[in-house]
Amino acid sequence: MTQSAEHVLDHFELFRGPEYQQMLANKKKMFENPRDPAEVERVREWAKTPEYREKNFAREALTVNPAKACQPLGAVFVAVGFEGTMPFVHGSQGCVAYYRSHLSRHFKEPSSCVSSSMTEDAAVFGGLNNMIDGLANTYNMYKPKMIAVSTTCMAEVIGDDLNAFIKTSKEKGSVPAEYDVPFAHTPAFVGSHITGYDNALKGIIEHFWDGKAGTAPKLERQPNEKINFIGGFDGYTVGNLREIKRIFKMMGIDYTILGDNENVFDTPTDGEFRMYAGGTTLEDAANAIHAKATISMQQYCTEKTLPVIGNHGQEVVAFNHPVGVTGTDAFIMALSRITGKEIPEELALERGRLVDAIADSSAHIHGKKFAIYGDPDLCLGLASFLLELGAEPTHVLATNGSKQWAEKVQEVFDASPFGKNCHVYPGKDLWHMRSLLFTEPVDFLIGNTYGKYLERDTGTPLIRIGFPIFDRHHKHRYPVWGYQGGLNVLVTILDKIFDEIDRNTNVPAKSDYSFDIIR
Amino acid sequence: MSSLSATIQDVFNEPGCGKNANKSEAERKKGCTKQLQPGGAAGGCAFDGAKIALQPLTDVAHLVHGPIACEGNSWDNRGAASSGPSIWRTGFTTDINETDVVFGGEKRLYKAIKEIIEKYDPPAVFVYQTCVPAMTGDDINAVCKAASAKFGKPCIPVNSPGFVGPKNLGNKLAGEALLEHVIGTVEPEFTTPYDLNIIGEYNLSGELWQVKPLFDELGIRISACISGDGRYNEVASSHRARAAMMVCSKAMINVARKMEERYGIPFFEGSFYGIQDSSDSLREIARLLVERGAPPDLLERTEAVIAREEAKAWAAIEPFKKRLTGKKVLLITGGVKSWSVVAALQEAGMELVGTSVKKSTKEDKERIKELMGQDAHMIDDMAPREMYKMLKDAKADIMLSGGKSQFVALKAAMPWLDINQERSHAYMGYIGMVKLVEEIDKAIYNPMWEQLRKRAPWEKANSNWQAKAIAQAEAEAAVLAADPVAAEAARRAKKICFCKSVDLGTIEDAIKAHGLTDVAGVRQHTNASGGCGACAVRVEDVLAQTNAPANLLQAAE
Repeated sequence: MTQSAEHVLDHFELFRGPEYQQMLANKKKMFENPRDPAEVERVREWAKTPEYREKNFAREALTVNPAKACQPLGAVFVAVGFEGTMPFVHGSQGCVAYYRSHLSRHFKEPSSCVSSSMTEDAAVFGGLNNMIDGLANTYNMYKPKMIAVSTTCMAEVIGDDLNAFIKTSKEKGSVPAEYDVPFAHTPAFVGSHITGYDNALKGIIEHFWDGKAGTAPKLERQPNEKINFIGGFDGYTVGNLREIKRIFKMMGIDYTILGDNENVFDTPTDGEFRMYAGGTTLEDAANAIHAKATISMQQYCTEKTLPVIGNHGQEVVAFNHPVGVTGTDAFIMALSRITGKEIPEELALERGRLVDAIADSSAHIHGKKFAIYGDPDLCLGLASFLLELGAEPTHVLATNGSKQWAEKVQEVFDASPFGKNCHVYPGKDLWHMRSLLFTEPVDFLIGNTYGKYLERDTGTPLIRIGFPIFDRHHKHRYPVWGYQGGLNVLVTILDKIFDEIDRNTNVPAKSDYSFDIIR
Repeated sequence: MSSLSATIQDVFNEPGCGKNANKSEAERKKGCTKQLQPGGAAGGCAFDGAKIALQPLTDVAHLVHGPIACEGNSWDNRGAASSGPSIWRTGFTTDINETDVVFGGEKRLYKAIKEIIEKYDPPAVFVYQTCVPAMTGDDINAVCKAASAKFGKPCIPVNSPGFVGPKNLGNKLAGEALLEHVIGTVEPEFTTPYDLNIIGEYNLSGELWQVKPLFDELGIRISACISGDGRYNEVASSHRARAAMMVCSKAMINVARKMEERYGIPFFEGSFYGIQDSSDSLREIARLLVERGAPPDLLERTEAVIAREEAKAWAAIEPFKKRLTGKKVLLITGGVKSWSVVAALQEAGMELVGTSVKKSTKEDKERIKELMGQDAHMIDDMAPREMYKMLKDAKADIMLSGGKSQFVALKAAMPWLDINQERSHAYMGYIGMVKLVEEIDKAIYNPMWEQLRKRAPWEKANSNWQAKAIAQAEAEAAVLAADPVAAEAARRAKKICFCKSVDLGTIEDAIKAHGLTDVAGVRQHTNASGGCGACAVRVEDVLAQTNAPANLLQAAE
């Protein structure tokens, strides 16, 4: 079954052919120093034991299968949420290729981002020239309205001073003196992509509000009735922001979304390539200083940004990725309290519908055990929702979760009778999760695409909620916020539960007595 | 071969049915099934009844002769379980079109049977008549006869088109089809003194399998189950069984009785819902088999199994006591054998509300049975807000009901557990009861109920629908008190006896006018409780209220 031009086999089938199988077997036998299969099996089994788990959790230096990404990814994500903005990452170009592919693979959209392409000489002598040339080229080639600068580790290690570099570049004529070039230092050896989101957003806000790095007068806050909304790093940003805007419109709230990624990650196919699409206008970004309040949907994505905003005299409110009835209630109530707007009947209906949907099918979720991993706020939102449904979020793990985050998760556990046997794991990775799934099995695992390895190894069915989702398409178009979003999360969980029931009952004449059409 | 109408008359005249025996000649002729009220939310039809009764026969092809409506909506809609064949789940229909309506669909039916036999070769083909071909005059009996002769394969006509009556009648007509065309047509390969027929059991969610291991242990052979997980040849040779158990439902009483008549197979009516019922049924089975010649040690062995299983079940229920003691259960259901679960619920420490029954002796069980049946009717006719008030007044923690009332319970924010056929858990036998208690525990402690009862946080107190419903009900009562004309109309509109269509006003007037003191007197004057008799309880209530001294009434209010 060799490859032929008449009938080209793809890799699914091609490598199952006898000649390839033979080749692979030979390679293994002759070059790979094969071990006794029994011994391999013994070790495999041993890695499932509590004894191994203990050793696994005693790991100090090595991270295996991390559930986090680096700061600049978050910086790039938030930057493209501003009108006509090109993210410019000062550092090595390889990093930038990663951010672009990561975002492209998740959103199935082109992702534009440039790099200052630092090389060895730049690493030795500093990256000033790369900045000067890079800004000039970006400005001339891609005609952005703003260039948002962040950094990779390389630039951070040699200590490049972005403020000074940008100033020098402007003096050298790379970009006009009054041109907007906000910046943020985003080393990957600190925090994660949510930290980068925070730093970059803070950089943009400070740029507009605090005198554009000394090139303009600071803005004077003149309070108005608008409110600012920050979504945080969010794999569901397309659906979520659409849903949030709908809610604002329904309530008659005048708003500014800071970092509006809705359109840039969902451009239509109509013959026109949009390097930039939608986004918060630069004017709105500046005027956001006058707003009455700023709401962040993800506390741990805005730990530095919110205090900056608060210091300008606004009220700031942070949520932890609210999912479900209680979480959304708190969000809607806060909106109503801050703006003084009534909650419209339509929203009350949507709430009732979500409660109804939960009532109709919660018997299937009630009592089930889940393991969750993901970004800290998402974990909190999902854990709360599961507790609301009577499920147990037995293991909650965030590689980029802090101690304070863990305390907050513990509080959520303590507030529900279903949280009694649940544990939180800050700073742990997916190899820790693997041990947890073997030694304290759960019914379902909630996580991103990388969870499929855990699903395969441990047999725990994976419910894909999080970032990145590479191997399923278009989930980012459906909100997980608002009552509608709660419904989507509920259905996502239920679909897997029912798929599992079907999968366990589908053997003809053996188990299919329970292969029912009504569930 | 008798005509359809003759068969129906025969079914109505069922001597095995206690209620039928008490009826007058004229009443008997009218039939035992409640005529459906035009405009009312209707239950299933006779076709549906016949289909669900026979569909659990797993190795035969069920071919529905009619337009797509009948099979399209009923295909594989029951959770009956099969231990092997799956052809019963394949949807076969002639899917007739306009041409067939005009020129007749018999040829199409014949061809369809032929194609089934050629492609699937099942041991038999069951052909179901439906309204349209019945009206256009397709003779399925003749087609089946011709097909049987031609293909040498039993083709069984099930003549139960939808319009002849309700579901219950369809069950019986299905039974008639078995009696006429199937049972007794094949001789079994061998027989044992322990051969038992189970009639009217559908193996929903595989629940018969929860009892079967006990039979196996005792050496009792189920020669045929009609029809749960049944096989054609088993049913066809079931006439050689020694005894039969009719599973607590009158649906197939004609089958049980006629098999007794024709083949001398004694039967009893029993149930495997509830611990006590399971034990009683096992005892009765052993007794009948021994009577018919099985070795007498079966009785002792059965007692030993009962003692062991009961102890195991009670022990398993014990841990739930702590969580369930004092919880109130409201039982609302129609055809389901919920009364049988009462003992298990009480053993787990739960209290029954909404019925006056505190203990579950045999007589009490009869009483609950009647109450439940009647309440189910009442709920059909009840406005949601009345329903809500009832649930609220009962202060129940959970409602057990069939699927129909599920949504009412949900809207009334009351924990609810389905014990009807769409359920996904099996509650039969000793294990089944433990499972039921477990499920009740889960349902009561589901946090969703709290969510359901809570108002949206922005809603003002007393503006939620529950409060509105109560206020509206009270307002209506106030209007009636102030307006004698409306009060009179309301009195006339509230039905007490559904069979004879007698309203509250008529009964009250009769009681006052004739100084009546008992149900018999009311029946004599108003005909109330002259039908199925289940409303006697409510008539008693009316009697008590109407005859109560006025001052006592006021004090009570």
